[in-house]
Amino acid sequence: MAEFSALLTAKAEWKPHQIAKAGDIASLAAAASALADTVKSTLSLASAGMEVVKLLATLQNINPLLIALEALADEVLKQIQDLKEAGYWYLYVDPYYEGNVSPTQKYNYGFEQLRNQAGDLIWSYKDGSGNWSDKTDTPTLAKINSDDAKPHLASPRKLIPGGYDSSNPLVDPLRSSDDGGVSKFPTFTTKEVIKEFTKAFDDEGDVPRYKLVGEVSAAPKAEEIVYDVDGNAYTGWNPKIDFGLELFDLGKASEDGSTVKNYVAGRKALNTKVAPGKPNILGNTEFVGGSGAIAIIIASGNFNEFIDVFNKFSQMFSDIPEFSSSTGKNLLDALTEIITPNDVTVKLTQVDTKFQSFIVGDVIGGQKYLSLGKIKEIVEGSVVPTTMVGRKAVGKTDDEGNIVSTMTDYNMNEVERWVDMEVVISPIRNLDGLNPWITGDMVVEMEERGTSGSTGDDVFPNYVVKGGDTTELPKELRIYPKVAIVAMEKLMILPESTPPDFGGIQIKDIVPGWGEFFQLLENFVLQLKGMISDSASFVQDMIDMIKQVEAFLEYMIKIIDEFLKFFQITLPSQGVYALYIPNQPDGNEGIKTQLSSATGIPDLGYAAGLLFVGTEGDKLIAGGGSKNPIDLLALVLGLLDDEEAPVNPAGNSTAEDAAAAVGKALAGTDKDAWKDKSTSEKMASLLF
Amino acid sequence: MAEEENNWKEAELRRDDIKKLLENTKKLAGMYSEIMEVKRQSWENVLKAKIKKAKKEKHNG
Repeated sequence: MAEFSALLTAKAEWKPHQIAKAGDIASLAAAASALADTVKSTLSLASAGMEVVKLLATLQNINPLLIALEALADEVLKQIQDLKEAGYWYLYVDPYYEGNVSPTQKYNYGFEQLRNQAGDLIWSYKDGSGNWSDKTDTPTLAKINSDDAKPHLASPRKLIPGGYDSSNPLVDPLRSSDDGGVSKFPTFTTKEVIKEFTKAFDDEGDVPRYKLVGEVSAAPKAEEIVYDVDGNAYTGWNPKIDFGLELFDLGKASEDGSTVKNYVAGRKALNTKVAPGKPNILGNTEFVGGSGAIAIIIASGNFNEFIDVFNKFSQMFSDIPEFSSSTGKNLLDALTEIITPNDVTVKLTQVDTKFQSFIVGDVIGGQKYLSLGKIKEIVEGSVVPTTMVGRKAVGKTDDEGNIVSTMTDYNMNEVERWVDMEVVISPIRNLDGLNPWITGDMVVEMEERGTSGSTGDDVFPNYVVKGGDTTELPKELRIYPKVAIVAMEKLMILPESTPPDFGGIQIKDIVPGWGEFFQLLENFVLQLKGMISDSASFVQDMIDMIKQVEAFLEYMIKIIDEFLKFFQITLPSQGVYALYIPNQPDGNEGIKTQLSSATGIPDLGYAAGLLFVGTEGDKLIAGGGSKNPIDLLALVLGLLDDEEAPVNPAGNSTAEDAAAAVGKALAGTDKDAWKDKSTSEKMASLLF
Repeated sequence: MAEEENNWKEAELRRDDIKKLLENTKKLAGMYSEIMEVKRQSWENVLKAKIKKAKKEKHNG
């Protein structure tokens, strides 16, 4: 119950995203940039080094491999730059992990209706003489309305999820979930995800907000003219109010006696973004202009399958903060816990051995709070007689013959009928989720009566109190369940995991390797600077250092190969639905309309979704095919065609050319030419 | 837009952006590695030559 109520206030929110900026990819970009600097500094050092060693070799003698390397580094930087320029809004509809939308309940609470052994509902029918008899035939609504038939409710009455629903009495809540019956997993359908997608465009308050930077006194006074990022002037400025776009003060007209000519550099930012808001152009969310979207929905009719696909999907998109498992419980853990919740240890008291003691395998359930679970273990040494101390008055006759009454304690459990025990329980989900073991609640033995769900892993036994259908029978025919009272739930220490653990490859994991890699290269170059000498010890040090770099590079390549193995796998299409809305001229409203009208997705029970929206900018993106970054995203996600799509649609082959040049240089003429170089020429090349 | 385009489709998603970035990085590391190898071999030759020269000088001296 708790997990559902926690979701009632949840809301999916728009967030900004850049592929290359999100989380750890930003570090990657910085690292690649450092490499380019390193490579360039090796080139510039080459000339400095040659002066030091008084060599006449010119720049043309510099190893051509370094030039090729620089070209490739530039290619990487260009690629990162392209991705950095591609910014999106994204909306994550998450019914299961953090829970920003509320799954719809498919059940009502109602009085428990008895079921036979097969799980069929029991109905009481009135015969001609006014006597009632039980049948499992479903009555007509007319018979129920005329009081000729009624549900046979459990006695005493018990309110349960999926109980008798007087407004819809004829359908069994436990019918197959394919026919609309209840499910033990929180259901959120594909239609509901799409509804959330479109709803998010309607939130009037979800607009970008910019807050004043610094003190009010330091900002331009109210009604002074301020400027947007493009230099357009605005009136209505008030430093005490948040506005929906980035604003600037013109800055000083002159500085240090000279006129400021570069106003972009000279201007002063007045505010900073505190909320991205829904997709907008310069703060206008009701814009009419180019915008496009990619909607991705992960969905399945089977919760286990859903988890499997969703886990793979989240690994693939671990640059989106919600899918990163850097802190706390990760998404897979959260979903797995829905299927296999952690065991709990419960201290039971007053286990009445008259109705037998609990044993491993018994399913027990709380009478009031509907906790449910199977006993997995009875903790050794925990079974002890319950201490039940009573007070009674004892009359004593004193020496004078007076009877004096005194109160004394006595053992109410002398024959040890009641015992305490600690049991380890594997919790079982109820229709309303996992319910807690509350101190004082009576727990009784449960038995299976029917099932809920549809097929396979989705089918769960329906548990009812054992003998619950015999409480109205004569005493000798009644079946009494084993019974106890919950004393307390004990904190459980989680078991140590046994490798290999389930877990995902994370984009952030690339970063430590990158950092070390580039740092090492930087240090290498810096050390060279101060070590120019021709002593044998210097040469030996140089060789040792190069060996270290070689070993590290080998290690780096191995790591990259591991990551490549993962990212070369495409996510299987089963369970992943995508809708690509290319750049269109009608702004958010156009996307909303197209999202609502798109067809071709089945209404499956378990779904979550991710919606990317990109708005048209001034500049052409990447290969120059579009001004909307969403089209670049569609390309890199493989949504445009079935073939392997290049990241750079312009077809810039600098990197390939460079690589080819390197191969040629190593294998061919350059390598041979090396042999013919003089020692001094080699020195120049070798150092840098 | 044609109505056909406005349909949900089962999609085989890829991350070509990350893949390409990793491939280029691997290529960079590989190239640097090759450069290092050439440099190391050359320094080793220099060292050999130095040792040989030193031995010769010692022998002559």
